[in-house]
Amino acid sequence: MTTPLLEVQNLCRSYGKVQAVRDLSFTMHRGQITGFVGPNGAGKTTTMRIAATLDVPDSGDVTIDGVSVLVEPRAARALIGYMSDQFHPYPNLDVLEYLDFFARANGLLGEQRARTVRSVASFCGLLGFADRPATGLSKGMGQRLHLAKTLLHDPQLLILDEPASGLDPRARIEFRNLLKELAAAGKAILISSHILPELGEMCDSVVVVEKGRRIVSGSIADIEKTVQNDQVVVLRALGGTESLQRFLLTQPDVGQLVVDGDRVRFPFAADDEALADLLARAIGAGLRVVEFGRGAVDLEDIFLKTTKGNLQ
Amino acid sequence: MSSLDASLAPPPLPAEAALGRWSSWSDRLNPILVREVQQAVKGRMFAAAILIALGVTVMIAVYIASNHDPNGNSGQGAFEAGLATLVPLALFVVPMQAYQSMRLELRSGIVEQLLLSRLRPVQILSGKLQAALVQFVLFVAVVAPTLATSYLLRGVDLPTIATSLALAGLACIAATMLAVSSAAQSRNAATQALANIGTAFGLGVGTFSVVGLVLSGEFTNGLAALLRSGEFWRVASGVVVVVGYGSLLAALSARAFLLHAFENKATPFRVALFAAPLLGCVWASLAFWRMGAAPVIAALCFGLLLLSLAFGLFFVTEQRELSPRVRAHVPATSLLALLTAPLLPGRDRGLLCFLLFVVINSVVAMLAVNAIGAGAWGGSWNSFRDIYCFTAGYGCIYLGIGRALRQRLPNTLGGNHAGRILLPMCVMAFMLVPVLIDVFVHGAPRQWHWGHVMNPFWTITHFERWTGSGAGPSPTGVPLVFLLMVVGMVLLQLPACLHGVREVLAASAARRQRQLPVVAPPSPSPSA
Repeated sequence: MTTPLLEVQNLCRSYGKVQAVRDLSFTMHRGQITGFVGPNGAGKTTTMRIAATLDVPDSGDVTIDGVSVLVEPRAARALIGYMSDQFHPYPNLDVLEYLDFFARANGLLGEQRARTVRSVASFCGLLGFADRPATGLSKGMGQRLHLAKTLLHDPQLLILDEPASGLDPRARIEFRNLLKELAAAGKAILISSHILPELGEMCDSVVVVEKGRRIVSGSIADIEKTVQNDQVVVLRALGGTESLQRFLLTQPDVGQLVVDGDRVRFPFAADDEALADLLARAIGAGLRVVEFGRGAVDLEDIFLKTTKGNLQ
Repeated sequence: MSSLDASLAPPPLPAEAALGRWSSWSDRLNPILVREVQQAVKGRMFAAAILIALGVTVMIAVYIASNHDPNGNSGQGAFEAGLATLVPLALFVVPMQAYQSMRLELRSGIVEQLLLSRLRPVQILSGKLQAALVQFVLFVAVVAPTLATSYLLRGVDLPTIATSLALAGLACIAATMLAVSSAAQSRNAATQALANIGTAFGLGVGTFSVVGLVLSGEFTNGLAALLRSGEFWRVASGVVVVVGYGSLLAALSARAFLLHAFENKATPFRVALFAAPLLGCVWASLAFWRMGAAPVIAALCFGLLLLSLAFGLFFVTEQRELSPRVRAHVPATSLLALLTAPLLPGRDRGLLCFLLFVVINSVVAMLAVNAIGAGAWGGSWNSFRDIYCFTAGYGCIYLGIGRALRQRLPNTLGGNHAGRILLPMCVMAFMLVPVLIDVFVHGAPRQWHWGHVMNPFWTITHFERWTGSGAGPSPTGVPLVFLLMVVGMVLLQLPACLHGVREVLAASAARRQRQLPVVAPPSPSPSA
């Protein structure tokens, strides 16, 4: 196992009497996209800001590639690209000038700066908007510019706080594809979002927090196994759901039935062989089955099962 | 979608052509300066300010031309009108633009993005200052024809024009630094409105005052007289030193608000405090070497003692412990760690730092007083010595109380702020309560008595009045009691000061331990 790129260790942070983060620990590796999910006020932004050296914890530490954000904040900043949930570009600067300024601020000089700005703008699909005023961009293009600025110094870890909020579906899909490319290029991405189905599609691991505490963390597949002992089965047959329900209620290992349109979903507490037998019995009972399969447990399921929706 | 690899970057864009001209020669400039100039060139505010200044200059030119007397000295009027045009630009427009720029960056969170880059707070602040100076130079260029014409029309000489411009530049630097510092310090919503009003009001009042002074003719006449006298270099160097030191403190304050919470914010202030007597002595020795610098040095030391009380208030209300970052970077050598301990953050070390400063400053002040001797000024300087000693003693007592007070407050930033408010209130209480007791118990405030011994102003006045005239209740015991109070307070605070030093030495030892090469365990012998 390689050393983790991001290591959050027993992080605690309180604001007055409100304890925003309580003894939070998790790790991330290179090339990994980790979803950081939790209800509002769960401590996601606080944790991300501490990891980005913009806040300090009451106790605990965060290391990035072994560099502590508390002991060596400047060295850690070189490894981090932090994209906050709000983007306010400078007035009276166009897209290229905006990127050029941040490239200068990151110590890039001469031709290297020009090349980096061009390649980052091209990667984020901003070349066609190079001479547009940065303040006049749409929300989606603004987020691309924000991401482009974050990538200028080639950070190892990207910390993205609600990057897709306010984006239309097309912009979200394009943004998601950008992040997937970045992960493929070896960058670790810690991303928080409330759009869970989308996170589920791009993340390979997830950290669920509530009231500042880690509820569950790990790969989505592992968490699915943890939170869902029984497999979920979806069944659809011609002739409506009533006959289906009558049949299923008489079968062993079938849990509570949920009618979802013309489908019936139910937890099944047995192995695949028993599942095959169930299908055979259904056909034998004269049901005209057109769909039979496992229902996917997505990030929303995990989130709803693991959190209680408590706010603080 | 293309690769992020810069070597595979697409060919230059047409929009880059304009940028390319900049890029070649602006690489070494401060990025903030480059960006502010780019923004100003495209912005309306700057263009409007230039156009208004040009308009005013043209109006002045027309007025001068229409009232020109070939035999008169109409140059002074033209000069004053030109300078009065420049003053609002230098003292209000330029600093307010720097203020607004900083406010925008703070309000919108851009400053956090800047701090995540390689830019350090000092570079951000110096970029703002450089941008302000570029604007100032452009504004000077706008009014330059008027100033040049004023010389040709007679009534004002070149040194006066050059000195006025230099003073305007200096004032512009100081005002900009104060404005930027004010913007950086007001990070929460509650203080922002206060800072907006305070900065605009302060700069506005300053601008109106200077414009009034210039238009009244007193500035030009006073400056011309000063230039002719032998005092000019003393005054000019004094102004440069004071404005420079003030701007430095403003910049350090702004820097402290922009730095990461665990960075060392205290050391630059402590170094600045210790550097002040040295700077003052050097300036006084150079400026007054013919007249004897001792009285100036003594007076400077007293001024610095008062300044150190303000520093001390912040020193003794800091967080107590070293931050993880500072702890990891204390000098590895024990001796160096011991020597630098008073300069490192923490209220225990802060008190130690103040006490050391008082000792050093007092030695310099007393040497200066002794150098003055018992000439015609002898009596006054004895009085100075008493006042100095009382002030230093009260500083030690009250800052000791301040540290002890801070110790009982929560270990948060709010606790620091509360300490900074409570200590002055505590001083007020020590002064007011005995008076109130006198009023309620005896019906009226009485003369000085021992209940007022914690009232610095009354005690010093009482002591001085008695030593001067011998009238009133004998205060012969006052110096002794006061000395005992000071020594007692210092002794009470000594364990805390030692704790502060021990913490630094422990951090130094831990650092040495980390730097030790890891010795591999001996490999087992073949026989084993």
